[in-house]
Amino acid sequence: MKVGGFKRMAAVARLDLVEVFQSRWLVFHSVLYALLAALFLFAGLRESSVLGYTGMSRLLLSLCHALILVLPLLALTASGLVVNRHREDGTLELLFSLPVSRGEYFVAVSAVRYLVLLVPLLVLMPLLGLADRLLFGHVVPWVFIGRSLTISATLLWSFAGLGLAISTFVRNRTKALMYLLITWIVCVGGLDFALMGLMLQWRLNAETVFVLSGLNPVQSSRLALLSSAEPSLAILGPVGFYLANRVGHSWLFLLGTLQPALIGWASWYVAWRHFRRGDLV
Amino acid sequence: MDITLRNVVKIFGSIKVLDGVSLSVPSGRKTALIGPNGSGKSTLTRILMGMLACEGEVLLDGLSPFARRERLARRMAYVPQSPPQLSASVADVVRAVARIRDLEERRIAVIAAQFDLDLGALAGRPIRALSAGMKQKLLIALALSSRADLLILDEPTASLDVSARARFFSLFAEMSGTATLLLCSHRLEEIQHLVEHVVALDGGRVIFDGPVETFLQTRAVSLMEVVTTRNSHADWLRAHGFRPAFGSSWVRSVARAEKMALLNEIVAQFDGDLDNVVIRDVETLSDKAWEARSCADG
Ligand SMILES: Nc1ncnc2c1ncn2[C@@H]1O[C@H](COP(=O)(O)OP(=O)(O)O)[C@@H](O)[C@H]1O
Ligand SMILES: [Mg+2]
Repeated sequence: MKVGGFKRMAAVARLDLVEVFQSRWLVFHSVLYALLAALFLFAGLRESSVLGYTGMSRLLLSLCHALILVLPLLALTASGLVVNRHREDGTLELLFSLPVSRGEYFVAVSAVRYLVLLVPLLVLMPLLGLADRLLFGHVVPWVFIGRSLTISATLLWSFAGLGLAISTFVRNRTKALMYLLITWIVCVGGLDFALMGLMLQWRLNAETVFVLSGLNPVQSSRLALLSSAEPSLAILGPVGFYLANRVGHSWLFLLGTLQPALIGWASWYVAWRHFRRGDLV
Repeated sequence: MDITLRNVVKIFGSIKVLDGVSLSVPSGRKTALIGPNGSGKSTLTRILMGMLACEGEVLLDGLSPFARRERLARRMAYVPQSPPQLSASVADVVRAVARIRDLEERRIAVIAAQFDLDLGALAGRPIRALSAGMKQKLLIALALSSRADLLILDEPTASLDVSARARFFSLFAEMSGTATLLLCSHRLEEIQHLVEHVVALDGGRVIFDGPVETFLQTRAVSLMEVVTTRNSHADWLRAHGFRPAFGSSWVRSVARAEKMALLNEIVAQFDGDLDNVVIRDVETLSDKAWEARSCADG
């Protein structure tokens, strides 16, 4: 891409960023991130005073659980009402009367919506680790933080991609919101134990369950995240435990990052193909 | 920039909004695109801006605006019918447009000032918090600052008050220069002195395409309303094409060129029995539109 392309993309991104900072969902996001951080520090405080040093993993584990539930929702709300909203409020009509290409616009808003979610996490997690060390004297588990960030990044991307696809295909915003909620509920609700129930009821074999759980980015992220922290049956759930023992932790991590990333890119590509061809307004 | 349309059809769902539109506009011509609400004016302008796909052929200087939109957009400027409802501030939008178009922000401010819009004072205001008139002026300033070869303005004065309109038209006549101009309106009266050519749409079809004088002579009519104090003139009125409206008033349409002759005839015929005569210039776009308008007026 030429310099002019970057310049126009930056101009569009900047405009969208302004829009993001004015939006209500950003407040919602900040509150959720703040809550997660508070939860983490509170847990750290309790553990250090009651039990003394117990290692970081337990604290981070609760954070991981919360992250796995919250990140998809955040990504969906940030990206699921972009294109349809821009169509409705006249942003597209303004931008596309200017020499902005469809690609420049699409890449700019995708990047803004994704980074707005990721960057705070990239800052917050290491900061919390350091705070924990300063306040309670725990060792900072850098490897674990690195892994969690990688998994969070791919999980966010998979749902940002899904959200963008919904916002591109569904013009009606109320309908889009419904699809976003359904996507979240199906992915979060389709976790291990629900699959286990299905497995028993329909006598699915282990491979089918593997495939089904592999289709759900929440599931694979969760397995990857938790197996590296606490690979026990109680934490991982039956399917996860089975998989962790069968395929090993490294493979679970690989699956848990590659698969959501792939889903994210696939959805993004489908959304882009649709956006590239149709009517703009 | 010249415009060529051949048999353009646009269908939304099951509705044919444009139904075989063919046009040829030479570079530099100032054209009014008129037609009643829903006749497809905005759809046509969006097709020209390359925002909508359509059947048929659309060429601007030989290029398809849908396929080559970015390239053509450098030479085009557009004022949409409904301004964007952005939370971004005036300064943000002006900066973005200036960057994208490689313009100086100052240039936009200077033009806005001529429309009584002080961009400095409004800089921090969100676009959507501006009044409709301010938004429209801002968009016009953004469009005019682009030095485009093709200016497309979709009902640009809809939200301006009477004095702002007058000001807009005189300034606009000055500033649009040699650019090809397409000005949409559902009322020709307002823009007829800005244009030399008229394209009239109705129900997605071109029903007139010619010089503005021809349009006024053949299509433009006056609506004449006569109020008499006595009923004895009813037969004469009927015979002269009037039909009874409310109370003791009678109405008919008359070709604009003939209205003064008819008026003289009426004055001569009625002598002292004439209570009132009201004449309004309107343009008939179609029988349907005419019916709707005379019903609304009657
Ligand atoms: N995106 C769209 N989807 C469906 N129908 C549309 C769309 N845009 C315009 N229309 C319909 O097309 C018709 C013509 O609209 P428009 O071009 O805005 O007319 P005008 O500008 O002359 O008032 C209207 O009936 C309108 O409802
Ligand atoms: Mg319109």
